[in-house]
Parts: sequence; C-alpha cells; structure tokens
Amino acid sequence: MNGVVQVKPGMHSRGWDEVLPVLPPNLEKMIARLPDHILARLEEIRLRRDRPLVLGAGGQDFFLRRDGQPDSIPESAYITSGDDMEKVIHNISGASIYALEEELRNGYITLPGGHRVGLTGRAVLENGQVKTLKYLSGLNIRIGREIKGTAAALLPRLLDQAASNIHHTVIFSPPRCGKTTLLRDLVRLASSGVPQLNYPGRTVGLVDERSEIAGCYRGVPQMDVGVRTDVLDGCPKAQGMMMLLRSMSPDIIVTDEIGKMEDIVALEEVFNAGVRIIVTIHASSMRELTNRPALKYLLQLNIIQRFVLLGRSRGVGTVEKILYGNEVPPRR
Amino acid sequence: MFKLIGAILLISTCGYVGWQVSRSYAHRPVELRQFMSALQMLETEIIYAATPLPDALSGIAERVDTRVSSFFAQAAKELKTTRGSSAREAWSAALDRYRADSTLDRGDLGILNSLGYNLGISDRDDQAKHLRLTLEQLKMAHARAEETAVKNVKLWNYVGLLGGMIIVLALY
Repeated sequence: MNGVVQVKPGMHSRGWDEVLPVLPPNLEKMIARLPDHILARLEEIRLRRDRPLVLGAGGQDFFLRRDGQPDSIPESAYITSGDDMEKVIHNISGASIYALEEELRNGYITLPGGHRVGLTGRAVLENGQVKTLKYLSGLNIRIGREIKGTAAALLPRLLDQAASNIHHTVIFSPPRCGKTTLLRDLVRLASSGVPQLNYPGRTVGLVDERSEIAGCYRGVPQMDVGVRTDVLDGCPKAQGMMMLLRSMSPDIIVTDEIGKMEDIVALEEVFNAGVRIIVTIHASSMRELTNRPALKYLLQLNIIQRFVLLGRSRGVGTVEKILYGNEVPPRR
Repeated sequence: MFKLIGAILLISTCGYVGWQVSRSYAHRPVELRQFMSALQMLETEIIYAATPLPDALSGIAERVDTRVSSFFAQAAKELKTTRGSSAREAWSAALDRYRADSTLDRGDLGILNSLGYNLGISDRDDQAKHLRLTLEQLKMAHARAEETAVKNVKLWNYVGLLGGMIIVLALY
C-alpha cells in the first residue's frame, strides 16, 4: 500500500520529482516530458533488465516508446539496459552496495521522501536464509504519496474522552484497502493532537518493521507521523514493542500487520503496562479474524475496544464498519 | 670576491636540488603509511559501520594527515556531485588530481587505482577482501620504499653538494 492509493487529483503531492533523480539522465528526461496528468498520477516505474520499461499510473500500466510517448503495446517500447540498471542501483545505494545488506535481504530500499524501491535478482542463501541479492535484475520504484486527513473523520469515534487517550484499536481489511495510509494519518493525529476535539496529543511509539508507515530514510521519518512520535524503524514488531515500552514511556504503541503469537504476547505486556495500542491486521471479516489462533486469543483477552473494518466500496480507505468492544460477541 | 659568491651560490643550489630529490625518497614511505592508515579507517567504516562511501570518504578526509586528506576529500566530492558516476570513476578522477603533488611512484598509484574498481560494488565480506589485499600490497610497496629511501636519501644529499663542488672546481 505504502501510500500509493488512488485519490482525487489535486490531493497528490509531487512525489515523482523526488524519485526521478535516481534514474539515469536519459530516462529522467523521457519521463519528465510526459503530460502532467500522467505524471500527477504516476505510481510505479518498473525497470527490468533487457525488457521494456513499464510505468504505472492510476492503477493501469503502460510502456514508454523510445521517443518518450506512452504506448500500450510493448513492441516499440524502450528497453531497459544493464547500464540503466547499474546507474539506478548506484544512485539509490550512494555507490555503496555493502551499506544495503539489510535492505537487500528484505527486498526493498526506502528513498528520501519515503518512496520505496522493490528489488529482485538472484538470492544468495546462507543456512537456508536469504543473505543478500546479487545480479539485481528487477526494480520497482514506487512513488509514495502521503494523504493527510484520511483519519480525521474516524478519530472522534476512537477517542476515550475520559482518559484523554485513544481506545485500544484494531484496524482490519483485505489487502490494498488503505490500512497503512489510514494508520499513518491516525498516528499523526494521535501524536500531534486535535484541539477541536479537546485532545491534546499523546506520546506515540511506532514500530515500523517494514518502513511503510513512517517511510524512514536513515532513521528519520519522511512522512508526517506527528510531533510526539518515536519510530523504531526496521525492528521486528514483538521486540520493538518491548523496547519502546521499556525505554520511551509511550502512551500509545502502534504497529502494523500483527498476526503471530509472539506479537500478541508482546501486546499483552503492553496492555499490562497501561499503554494503549493501535494495530492493523490483514483480514476481510470478523470471522476471518477469529479463525486465526493468535488473533482469536487476542479477542479472548477482551480488551480491544474498537474494531475498524476498511473496504473499497466508496474508494480505497472507506471505513465500512466500526465495532465497539462490547458489540463483539464473546468467544469461547 | 665575485668568484667566491658564485661558488657558494652554485654549491647551495646543487645541494638544494639534491636535498629535494632525497626528500621525495624520504616522503614516499610516509605517504604510503598515511594511505595505509586511511584505508584501515575505510575498512572499519565499511565493515563495522556500513557507512555509505561518500560519507565514509569525507569522514576519513577529516581525520587523516592533510596531504592524503585532499585525495579523500576530492573522491567524496566527486561521488556526491556527479550523479551516476561510479565509485571507480570518482576514485580514479581523484587519484589523477592527486598524482601531481604526490611522491608515490606509478606502482603505488596502480595499487590504489585498482582498489577503485571494486569499491562499493559488492557486499561487506567482499569489500573487506579487496581492502585487505590492497593493504597487503601497500605494505610491500612500503617496505620497498623504505629500502630505497635508506639508500637514496643520503646519496642524493651528497650528490647535490659534491656535484656543486665538482662544478666549482672545474670552473676554477
């Protein structure tokens, strides 16, 4: 998701001009010459060694002809050369492949501005684990767009006015429904506060295992995640939650895509410390949620007060349903 | 009287030239040592801190002796300013500039230049291997440089002075 969701034109930031400088000069010029309405909706630039260059905009993809015109057939498309690939890799790594070991293992790199580059190539294994990638042959430059205000309407329903804090909240949805985007905005509001709601803002600890929420570049959030937010970037969720709990005394702990038992165990510790949580889960219904043992256990704790289901019935990021803790049927 | 002044001038000029030549011999091992310690720093930066090259190079430029520092500062600058130029290009461009006011010989510069071919393009283990190899080669070059320095420093000091005296005698 990574903020790459469709919204009305005009809400877009100019993400593409932050991304183009990593391309070789010839490609940069070609793409910058595209019509503005395409550039404004540009989401992906896919480079595959010795294959046509593919651009993605507004949910559709197209090729780029050698003369710079967009085209729907690959025959006369610009072919990405090995030299192009090397230049891009050079630019995104700062001429230092060795500095990207962790990123290569994870298969993506975060750029300044919070944009991400997905990587494929040949995996090098060590003890059955991916150690690094070599012969990088596929790059997907995804332009991240921050959409502020998506959680503004939701926040009043999540606020615990008595404690002047956020209720324990679970956001769940099928993939690509805008969970991460919503979570990011929620973090921003929960951290910076909303004076109109008489909510002053709380210290937020964010465990951002896949660098998707805050889009950290060298540890510094590239997205606005609020003024009172501490980000643990690239840290495993369960460990990260414990670290934040011990060291940063947060009022709210936020992480995304929980599902493993160890995550739930860590969450229990967080509950016990009196810290509120906001987490996201991949699931398309309450039933699906309860079918997973770890999450079933979480529900049995009977501590989550708000369940927010997202969908795309009225566009990405539609809040389909908000369930209160007491409305969720008790489970055995 | 004029003869005496001329003789003194001649001898001191020849002596100075000889001293200059001897100094370049004496300086080469020093310069090689400075490069060795700089590359050791680079190794630490790469292996333990995984610092990206531009930052690592400019960091080293701040910490090493002024003479070698100019090279690392230049290499860092090349990397930061010219987009898309590889570490190899930046490294050898900086080396080309540095060559002019260096006492290193062609072999030494060749060792340094070949490091540039491998810098930044592989994982940490591989980088460590290349840096160690370069350090080994520099160590050997340093031993040779020491040897020639011992032989040549005295020699050229004498050659300068004595050469001047011989010319004076011949002219008398």
